[in-house]
Amino acid sequence: MAKLSLMFESKLVKEVPIGNRPVSIGRSPDNDIPIDNLAISNYHARVYYEGSRLVVEDLDSLNGTFVNDLRVERATLHDGDSIWIGKHHIKVDATADAAIPWDTGRKAAAPKINETMVLDTKARRDMLSQAAAMGERSQFSPGRLKMPTLVVLSGKVNQKEYVLTNKLTVIGKSPMATVRLRGWFKPPMAAQINQRDDGYYLGTGDNVPTINGTPITGPTRLNDGDLIEVCGVRLNFIFRE
Amino acid sequence: MQIASDGLTDVGRVRSNNEDSFRILESLHLFVISDGMGGEAHGEIASSMAVETIVDYCSEAKDDSGITLAGAPGDHWAEKTKRLQSAVYLANSKIYQSAQKNPEQRGMGATLTAAWFDNGRLSIAHVGDSRAYLLRGGTVQQLTNDHSLVAEQVRRGIITPQEAEASEMQSVLLRALGAHSQVEVDVDEVAIFSRDVLLLCSDGLTRMVTEPEIAGSLQAETDPASATRKLIELANERGGIDNVTVIVAHFQEEPRGWLSWLRRGSANKE
Repeated sequence: MAKLSLMFESKLVKEVPIGNRPVSIGRSPDNDIPIDNLAISNYHARVYYEGSRLVVEDLDSLNGTFVNDLRVERATLHDGDSIWIGKHHIKVDATADAAIPWDTGRKAAAPKINETMVLDTKARRDMLSQAAAMGERSQFSPGRLKMPTLVVLSGKVNQKEYVLTNKLTVIGKSPMATVRLRGWFKPPMAAQINQRDDGYYLGTGDNVPTINGTPITGPTRLNDGDLIEVCGVRLNFIFRE
Repeated sequence: MQIASDGLTDVGRVRSNNEDSFRILESLHLFVISDGMGGEAHGEIASSMAVETIVDYCSEAKDDSGITLAGAPGDHWAEKTKRLQSAVYLANSKIYQSAQKNPEQRGMGATLTAAWFDNGRLSIAHVGDSRAYLLRGGTVQQLTNDHSLVAEQVRRGIITPQEAEASEMQSVLLRALGAHSQVEVDVDEVAIFSRDVLLLCSDGLTRMVTEPEIAGSLQAETDPASATRKLIELANERGGIDNVTVIVAHFQEEPRGWLSWLRRGSANKE
């Protein structure tokens, strides 16, 4: 009977003989070879005898199972092969077995590591529940559901306040602007407020706006309560419940 | 609004085939980009199927407002936005059905990012990790959210953007055309101002070139053709590990009013 040796870099972590039962490999602790690493699926792969052949089978893992350097769905193992799973590799010692002929071509899995692939719905669900378990900071938590709002303190514009619902908000005279400036000689696009993953950023347009009295030098993140001044209009940026 | 645009695609420095597709329909002010995936030539089939479907559907929808909408787009969106979203639903079904019929095409898919300018507004529809950016007043703003595992992990605060850039999982998408019978399509509308610059690009650009570099090139190059060349050059200089495709469009208000009439008049005399 053959045996498997789990290695991390060049260190031997664990040795497992292969009997009549399949040997399971994965992140879940109930595997025969548990590997505690996020890159490894809960039930990642298994190794078992099929007649006299030793076979490795990938269990639809996210990051794949590699024999030597080929990604496989299923492959016959030979003495001296290495199964690669994440940064771990498992050496196959089958010296006790009769040599297995190399006639069966290994069946390569479709996506190679560098090629784009799409998660199926199950893998996606797993990923999202895993994310939930890890604790979200995130925009999805109720604490972040406050509406960013511009309250007009002074100056000629078309509304008293504006709730920022779009990714891009423009302050200017243009009819396309969200905050429409009134009066002569106002620029079509005086300044802009853009939503990014980590908050709202004030940027320049035809004018350089100030935040709390200081002119900005580039896109600047807005904090709750900031005072924005541009073209004679004063706006208070707040997050409203 | 006057629009000047150009698009360019390059196989890159590592791959042997180009799986990206793009189309610019100047008459419609429609810009479409797609990055295909799947073994053999199937990525190319998927991406060109995606682009052709969008272009055909939108051309048809331009003159025929009675054409049925696929799926159920939100009511508050403009007509063009709904059309564009329907077109993406249709492209998804076409690729999916083709892959179901032809077993050798199993696993093929494509990203899609499309922008359609009409009446001062840009309608955007998006699935996958190709991107749309808008350069406005020296600020470059990403208009689309990547539907990739790492982007979702960043949005959820599980990993940092730096970790995402170094991740081996960058190629794992959460959504793509052709992967399932139905797909969720992101749509958005953006008001366009004079001197805005639109960029659509495949991940072959954004994995190689940083956002400030993209902003710099878009600002430095005054015509779209030289901007596309510059961006592709940059991606290839950095290693060009993937196909690179870029579309650049410059929006410029047509001069009007007595001031520009005077200016035009004096220019004519010169």
